[in-house]
Amino acid sequence: MIDPITVEIVKGALVYAGEEMGITVRNSAYSPNIKERLDHSCALFDRFGRLIAQAEHIPVHLGSLPWGLNRMLEWIGREHGGLREGEMWVANDPYLTGTHLNDVTVVRPIFYEGTLAGYAANKAHHADVGGAVPGSMPADATDLFAEGVVLPPLRLVRADKILDETIGILRANSRTPEARSGDLRAQIAGNVIGERRLLELCERYGRQTFEDAVERALDESERAMRAALRSLGDGVFSASDYLEDRDGAPTIRIALRLELRDGVARFDYDGTSPQVNAPLNAVFGVTLSGVYYALRAVTDPAIAMNEGCFRPIEVHAPIGTLLNPRRPAPVSGGNVETSTRNADVVLQALAQAAPSRVGASSGGTMSNVMLGGVRGDGRPWSFYETNGCGMGARPNADGLDAIQCHMTNTLNTPIEALEREFPLRVVRYEIAHGSSGGGRHCGGNGLVRALELTEGIARATLLADRHTLPPPGAAGGEPGACGVHRLQREGSETAEALPAKTSFDLRSGDVLTIQTPGGGGYGLVGDVAPGASGAFEAEARRAEQVDDSNRAAPR
Amino acid sequence: MRSLRVGIDVGGTFTDLVAVESWSGRTITQKLASTPKEPQRAVCDVLATLLASYESPPAIELLAHSTTIATNALLGQIGLELPRTALVTTAGFRDVIEIGRQNRSEIYNLFVERPRPLVAREDRLTVRERIDYRGRILTPLETTEIFRVCSELRERGVAAVAVCLLHSYANDAHERTLAQRIAEALPAARVVRSSQIDPQYREYERFSTTVVNAVLAPIVEAYLERLVEDLQGRGITATLFVMRSDGGMASARRIRSLPAAIVESGPAGGVIATAALGKRIGASRLLSFDMGGTTAKAGAVVDGVVQIAGEFEAAGSTHSGRAVKGSGYPVRFPFVDLAEVSAGGGTIAACDASGALRVGPLSAGADPGPACYGRSEHATVTDANVVLGRLNQTALLGGAFPIDAARARSAIERVAGSTGLSVEEMALGIVALVDHAMAKVLRIVTVERGIDPRDFILVAFGGGGPLHACALAEELGIARVFVPEHPGLFSASGLLDAPLVETELHPLLQTTASIDWAATERWFAQSESRAAQTLVEQGARAQSIVFRRQYDARYRGQGFELTIDHDGSPKALERRFHDAHRARYGYDAPGEAVELVNAKLTGVGSIASPKAFDSVPAQPDVREGDATAIVRGVYLEGAWRDVPVHRRAWLAQDRRIAGPAIVEEYDSTTYVPPSWSLQVDDGALRLERAQA
Repeated sequence: MIDPITVEIVKGALVYAGEEMGITVRNSAYSPNIKERLDHSCALFDRFGRLIAQAEHIPVHLGSLPWGLNRMLEWIGREHGGLREGEMWVANDPYLTGTHLNDVTVVRPIFYEGTLAGYAANKAHHADVGGAVPGSMPADATDLFAEGVVLPPLRLVRADKILDETIGILRANSRTPEARSGDLRAQIAGNVIGERRLLELCERYGRQTFEDAVERALDESERAMRAALRSLGDGVFSASDYLEDRDGAPTIRIALRLELRDGVARFDYDGTSPQVNAPLNAVFGVTLSGVYYALRAVTDPAIAMNEGCFRPIEVHAPIGTLLNPRRPAPVSGGNVETSTRNADVVLQALAQAAPSRVGASSGGTMSNVMLGGVRGDGRPWSFYETNGCGMGARPNADGLDAIQCHMTNTLNTPIEALEREFPLRVVRYEIAHGSSGGGRHCGGNGLVRALELTEGIARATLLADRHTLPPPGAAGGEPGACGVHRLQREGSETAEALPAKTSFDLRSGDVLTIQTPGGGGYGLVGDVAPGASGAFEAEARRAEQVDDSNRAAPR
Repeated sequence: MRSLRVGIDVGGTFTDLVAVESWSGRTITQKLASTPKEPQRAVCDVLATLLASYESPPAIELLAHSTTIATNALLGQIGLELPRTALVTTAGFRDVIEIGRQNRSEIYNLFVERPRPLVAREDRLTVRERIDYRGRILTPLETTEIFRVCSELRERGVAAVAVCLLHSYANDAHERTLAQRIAEALPAARVVRSSQIDPQYREYERFSTTVVNAVLAPIVEAYLERLVEDLQGRGITATLFVMRSDGGMASARRIRSLPAAIVESGPAGGVIATAALGKRIGASRLLSFDMGGTTAKAGAVVDGVVQIAGEFEAAGSTHSGRAVKGSGYPVRFPFVDLAEVSAGGGTIAACDASGALRVGPLSAGADPGPACYGRSEHATVTDANVVLGRLNQTALLGGAFPIDAARARSAIERVAGSTGLSVEEMALGIVALVDHAMAKVLRIVTVERGIDPRDFILVAFGGGGPLHACALAEELGIARVFVPEHPGLFSASGLLDAPLVETELHPLLQTTASIDWAATERWFAQSESRAAQTLVEQGARAQSIVFRRQYDARYRGQGFELTIDHDGSPKALERRFHDAHRARYGYDAPGEAVELVNAKLTGVGSIASPKAFDSVPAQPDVREGDATAIVRGVYLEGAWRDVPVHRRAWLAQDRRIAGPAIVEEYDSTTYVPPSWSLQVDDGALRLERAQA
């Protein structure tokens, strides 16, 4: 039997390998989305395709990367007879890889002494993979094909040589081909590091001991997860919430029945809306990510992240629904908006089991902004970013202002980097004071970011939520303010309101203002706990606001 | 005349002094408890203790100091309240310093907090002005705006003002005007502008660096003034030097305008001392490994040069060796590139519910401390070392600190519990796990930076470093380890080795094809003459000054730079960049444009000293029969064996000892495993692994 010390050492080394892969991808990537915002994830798998380590980057990749890897492996096995030594494969078909077309997955089979020992894989958000609009997330898409080029698994590297013809497909379909090849090279470099580290472990401990250690590590994580679930107690809980359709009506429902029993959690999404004719469908990998994220946050984030964690978790989402759509439903926003709402719903269900561990709802949208066009000198450009919002108040503390919540944790693009690379000027970037939900503890405030186009014409796409149905408070707390989009045309005195999900042309001198939602409050306003900031401060914070318009958010 | 060179390192628990006598070359050490609320007290006291030991006190020729005052102030330590500070920024951007990069420092922690903004929102003022990324003025800064902001600042009674405008790295005209007018309007306030402190793009990091500098200025200045006064009160008038975060020295006067440069003053000393040791033994590639009670730190010296990083998260946290983005206040200033992990003698081992053995990150610290200290039941790394016989089972600190070995054993026994491992096996396992965690920081500063550690020498110090060094060396494939004299005071001794340093940075953001090379050469030349003057003013010998010209370079479109030495040849620079990129990331792209982000100048000079002298190793206090030193049972490879335990002070020069062996001294213990041998080399212990 293998000793617990070797198990720990192998576990630690695997986590470190995942982190090192992530750093490599980041530092050698080209597009601001990866290098500045860290919109990528890296992981190692054993030869059975079981997750053995994943670096903590972005929660939305948490469940989708392992789910996607296994689908990719099946596909390659079926269509091409499997992955060979010295190869890497690339794919972005969401129905195989588990998120949306922008997330390009690269996988490397790792061979030790001629036989398969595992896989290194990573996923990175490419800012533009073609489709109807720059940024590849058209708000009016009705099928997958409008969202960009769909790559089934393709050989990217053969006999350790990069296949330029494969990169050429992505390049030919992207508005920003240079960044595509640079980012793919960075992803390849990341996998090379992952492979090297896994081989070092095989070399050092011997293959058998390494595999025994992995087996034991998976079992430990399973036991730890079961114990953590057991500590939540048994029970059946229900929660539901809505996403807003393109017309603003909050009619797209996520319904969840959570059953906790004896260390097993069953998530049943029966009652969730059928898939929609809008890019809000979330492939099943994304649905899993929301579940895993919320459970990890509510139980013990220190449990080593691997396949063992998933074993006591069962997730059922009926096929043909928002959370498990049929191909070729459009999915670009499922990854961002639907995954966020799914996390809200899972957390609200878990709140009933563990009230002290979960607060009010956060802003509930990633407030995606995509802009792109052609510069005066003919160079195409494509810009993508998500915006933070107000965090929901916690049972013991206010929510934080202007911060990425739940399913993403990307960094903002520095203004001075953004203006250097795109024909854009940021004219305002502030906390939207007055947008938080009141309560014994206040929610966090959203943010305001205003962008001016400085050259030519750009196609703009906005994809946000919580513009009509505000983020709810908890335990009697008030909801946060809704988000607002405004457009002030060049030369115009006034700004027009725009829908939450829309595509339109932006002309030089036009100013687009994004205000993101505030977080819900926790507890009744005026019910001031000793030592808490409470309602008085809530009033003070409201009085402090810079811009009255922050309060005038439409409901 | 007899004189002393003195280095004083103020740490959280102890204030350490290392001095060298000019007439004998002898090294003297002193240790006193720190006085966190008034750190200068312990500094004066420890110095007074030293001087009192002489009948006629020698002159102090050099007084070098490292301090945690800046970090402690940022951490909100009581007694170091931050002064009220204002920020003046471009209209529309007052919250940049609060929003940070929008990320949360812990992804899965729903109760995560942000560092408190160092400037309250009501003290963040804005002016109408705008400059674009090319430095073109889009909205001029009107005089009325300047008047308004000056009068608002006067009403607020702030002690310091940070002036941070967008794109000021590309054009500092507005910042200069504003800063000058504010300084005139508020003569008592410290005014700091971002284009002067950190002229690099990315606004949050630049603003943060500037704000940190502004907030610290009044505190650091007051502290240094009090210290100088107190020293003068005791008749000590030597110039006071302070160690910067990059391991260079600066005069106390210079630091007043650059307090952000000393945020990591303390930890830099160990790496500097490592580089100095390397010079003495003729080695240019060394790793420093400093292990104390709660943390372990690693740094690298490559080709004789201490490795430097450009950014640090002040008062932030680290996660397994790396700084956690968003946990503290970014400071972009050269720092000794240190990786730090929560692992030390006090690190606690426990089995969790799933049966997994976890070592750290919790630490028993010094109080209550490991079980063997007699005040807790915590099974720690120190307890494991006691159980294994590697540490003395009766007392530490030369017999002054009693050890309860039975208590250590029962603590480890409890962890072994149901795992099926014996107490000894568990103790070995705990040591193996903590070694693994610590090896990671050594990997971060080497492998992760594209450096192969195998031909490096590991220099181990701190109370625990020498105990774990050989295992770590094996883990990294390193064959040689040095344990310096006074391992517990080695960091402080770095203060005596550090040269004066000045750095300057000039933003470029142009490709090698489009850059005006003559203009950057002119900048380097001007920067060199500025740096030379500042160094000489601080007391550097003019002839000793050397310069290093570097560029931060990347492929155009990338977001992360590699720092490349520049010898004047653009071709050679590009080649070195491609090579460095390949070493670090496994590929290069010679066809692509190389962008130079910054030009960097480092000037280094030695402190003028009429009678420069070197320390000489302590003369061994050789006793009769030391070869048959005490023998102690040590658990090795599954069995107890009698292993000789030597007193370090008794070991003669060139004395050779084969492992397994233990060498004990006042503040540290060196463990020589089987298959390693030890030789006394110029005062240091040189450990070598037998060729496999």
